[in-house]
Amino acid sequence: MNFKRDISTKTYSGFALSALLVLTILNVLLQNIPGKVERAGEKLLELNAQEGVANAVTTVVVYFRGFDTLGEIAVLFIAALGIGLMLSSHSKVPHKEESNFILQKASKLLFPVIMLFGVYVMIYGHLSPGGGFQGGVIIASGVLLLLISDQNFEIPHSVISALETFAGIAYVLIGLIGLVVLDRFLGNFLPHDISEMGMLFSGGIIPLVYIVVGIKVGSEMSLIVQNLIKRNDDD
Amino acid sequence: MTGLIILSTFIAVIVVAFAVVVQKSLPDAIILFMGVSLGSVVLFFVFQAPDVAMTEAVIGAGISALIFLMALKHFKEER
Repeated sequence: MNFKRDISTKTYSGFALSALLVLTILNVLLQNIPGKVERAGEKLLELNAQEGVANAVTTVVVYFRGFDTLGEIAVLFIAALGIGLMLSSHSKVPHKEESNFILQKASKLLFPVIMLFGVYVMIYGHLSPGGGFQGGVIIASGVLLLLISDQNFEIPHSVISALETFAGIAYVLIGLIGLVVLDRFLGNFLPHDISEMGMLFSGGIIPLVYIVVGIKVGSEMSLIVQNLIKRNDDD
Repeated sequence: MTGLIILSTFIAVIVVAFAVVVQKSLPDAIILFMGVSLGSVVLFFVFQAPDVAMTEAVIGAGISALIFLMALKHFKEER
């Protein structure tokens, strides 16, 4: 009886949420406010052009809201820390079952491609959609594939912690150098000429910061995934 | 034509999200949750937000569903 009531409550709340969603979407679609939107976007693009970065979203995430990104990374770090504290295995017990042949061979083939794609997304974050967060998670998914296919594979904790520490310190250091040179945390102190917009080496510190973010996110997500997979089964 | 695609994707996402809520088996719910993410990817891309679409594809459809599945596996082992 109680269970039934629980299900029906879920159903009604699902209905209510769906109705709310539909109403919101209709509101957004029907509301005609092109002027406001256009003005905000134009102002943003104008500011973005000063930094010489082709992808305006990257400028917002890394430069205009760079301090928020630092906070987001801190949140991710705390999440990884919590999962590590709860799930870290004291005795390394390999999985009992062997993964199947196709997975073993296909992962060997796919892993380099996934890694290359992740690094590409990371490095070209200031030119094309994507960036540090996405690239880091793609790399972590590559690590996940290796972890599933090979029981003995494991990234040493020292490597992960070294990468993560390096990335965190580098982010804050870049920000502090900007503070010293330009009186602004994460100030763009490297040359960022607008004539170089669209080139790989352009945008001053913005690609550097996004690569650092990518390294940090990649190592943290790999740590989370590894802790979840390599968890010590007590039975 | 584009409007039709957008509208049908909206409806599909809402229907699949509803199916996630009423689903009895947890693995099925997780797979359907991936479906919601995939629909959102299409919507984000159509509304000219490729960065968000990429994030959703990688995190929503990829790693979060896998983390859910792994957590479910551990949960089943402990019961």
